[in-house]
Amino acid sequence: MSTASLELPDYHQQTPEVVARFERIRQRPVVLKVENLKKGFGDPNHEHVVFDKVSLDVYRREFITIIGPSGCGKSTFIRIAAGLDEATGGTILLDGKSISGPGPDRGMVFQGYTLFPWRTVKQNVMFPLENQGKSASEAESEARQWLDMVGLGRFEESYPHELSGGMKQRVAIARALANNPRVLIMDEPFGALDAITRAKMQKHLIEIWRQVDVTILFITHDLDEAVYLSDRILVLGVNPGGVREFIENPVPRPRSVAQFLTPEFLAVKHRLDELIHPPEADTEEDTLPMVKLTQAGDEVE
Amino acid sequence: MATSDFLGLKKELPPSRRLVLTILSFVGPLILWAAVSYIPWLWHPLVRITDPGEVEYFSERMEVPRAEFAKQVDEMLKAKSEPPKGYRVNPVYLPAPHEVVKAFYTGFTTPPRLPNEPWLHQSLLHSIYTIFWGFVLSSIVGVPLGILCGTFRFFSRLQEPFIEYFRYLPAPAFGALCVAILGINDGPKIAIIVIGTFFQQVLVIANTVRKVDPSLIEAAQTLGSKGWNLVRRVVIPASITEIYTDMRILLGWAWTYLIVAEVVGTMSGITFFINQQARYRNFDNVFAAIAMIGIIGFTSDLLLAWIGKLIFPWKRKRGARKSSVIPISMVAKQNRLPAEEEKPEPPAGPESAPASIPAPGTAPETNA
Repeated sequence: MSTASLELPDYHQQTPEVVARFERIRQRPVVLKVENLKKGFGDPNHEHVVFDKVSLDVYRREFITIIGPSGCGKSTFIRIAAGLDEATGGTILLDGKSISGPGPDRGMVFQGYTLFPWRTVKQNVMFPLENQGKSASEAESEARQWLDMVGLGRFEESYPHELSGGMKQRVAIARALANNPRVLIMDEPFGALDAITRAKMQKHLIEIWRQVDVTILFITHDLDEAVYLSDRILVLGVNPGGVREFIENPVPRPRSVAQFLTPEFLAVKHRLDELIHPPEADTEEDTLPMVKLTQAGDEVE
Repeated sequence: MATSDFLGLKKELPPSRRLVLTILSFVGPLILWAAVSYIPWLWHPLVRITDPGEVEYFSERMEVPRAEFAKQVDEMLKAKSEPPKGYRVNPVYLPAPHEVVKAFYTGFTTPPRLPNEPWLHQSLLHSIYTIFWGFVLSSIVGVPLGILCGTFRFFSRLQEPFIEYFRYLPAPAFGALCVAILGINDGPKIAIIVIGTFFQQVLVIANTVRKVDPSLIEAAQTLGSKGWNLVRRVVIPASITEIYTDMRILLGWAWTYLIVAEVVGTMSGITFFINQQARYRNFDNVFAAIAMIGIIGFTSDLLLAWIGKLIFPWKRKRGARKSSVIPISMVAKQNRLPAEEEKPEPPAGPESAPASIPAPGTAPETNA
């Protein structure tokens, strides 16, 4: 890793402003309390444990990113938080109340957009508002506001298939936020986007989050994205599955693309890389056996 | 090197060639039929006598096999008698295209032979009436039940095994039973169509509903939808276009049960007409009537397809596919060019986007 060769500061080091900010965050009420969460498959005797003993407190308006190697159960974890899967042990409390099943207090944005193809952009955003029993005109004007916020006011009459991937995902975010959820859960929302759209969407998301009182749980496998967006980064591992580290991100806010090369940014990123790709894993199973496929007389190299 | 893809292995053919091929698909069989009908040395296994000569059992307008005719000519020539004359014809059951085309018109203008027999248009209307009620009655129960079975495992397990068994029982087998219960008029005919359609309908629609993208349902659940609301606002709209297509196919199947249904009890509708005309040996009318069934079925399907485009506007535009079922690789491809992404977007940076919206609920502090 190129970052390893640089002289990086300790990622635990925080400027006084950052320390003060985390101090203030901890003063806020706990929105999501996860206690000893466990998920396993199969019968109790031959159980395959995905993760165990996951406990964390998420404070109001925090931006939490969850990261980990494939198979660490990060998607399973937020699906449990969303109420779409069930845990095999432990509890998740939302505002002190234990969750059961999916509900409007936890909005979700999926990687696959999941917009309703039979509804226009505006009608998609109206969907949760209608569920709340709002009148059509009320839902419509509120949906317009949300669409304006994600910058898609001009496309309210379009159907989802007429939009690009980034635009679809912005509609999905507007739709999830229209419900005024306490927590916005995002499962690799920008994973299907190209690099340029993805960078724009990250910027949009920070802007939106600054406008709205919402706590965000965000899954990604992109280290830059994790450091750029979040307050704290939950690193999950495999074998045994569970929390590796819960990192307080020392990169100060407001965030900008320029910070990608600051020492503290690189330090966190380096630490994440260590946690997710431990050095010993590189030795055998990850290296493919290479057979030389050149012919005799091929001496170009 | 440009490889010409004339046969359309990888891409759709140009519209002009598509049209030509569509026409050809109809013209091909017609040419074959016309050739057999109009080229005298193609098939034409019979000889129609114009002059019986001195053959005793021949008479004018009689049709005999070619071999028989040739034998008689031979014998007459040997006996120095006058040989019979005639020309080659096809059997009566294969009328020429022009005769059938004429029958399309004359079929409607010729009054029935007996005063109590229906006209052709009455027969056709009777058939449409039977199909319509059979299909509607089947759908009134079948569609909701199919949706229920497709949505909830409970109803699927409760209903589908029996329906799966029942659909193997051929509908015509119930003919006698239906007559015994429902009399000899339209009742048993409609019942046969219902039996033939209903069980397939439930299974096909349940299957279609089961294929609804589960992530759409999950998304709706996280947006506060559940129970009946979820079925009405997500499951049904998500599958309605596919259900509509299923219904079009099922309506085609209902037509195949029509002929069976119409011989149950007192024969009626187009089947009665066809049978009656065959009995009178008016095979041009028989052909015309059969062709008419095809035309009615085909045009009603085209009409339904057109109506489908009207009532499902999200399917109308090009590339209309459920966004969520597009494989991720395709999505990535669609977004590959940043220029494409740029174009349709309004200026949505921090300057235009936020600011206008006050945050719902006041935060203890901003995240700046």
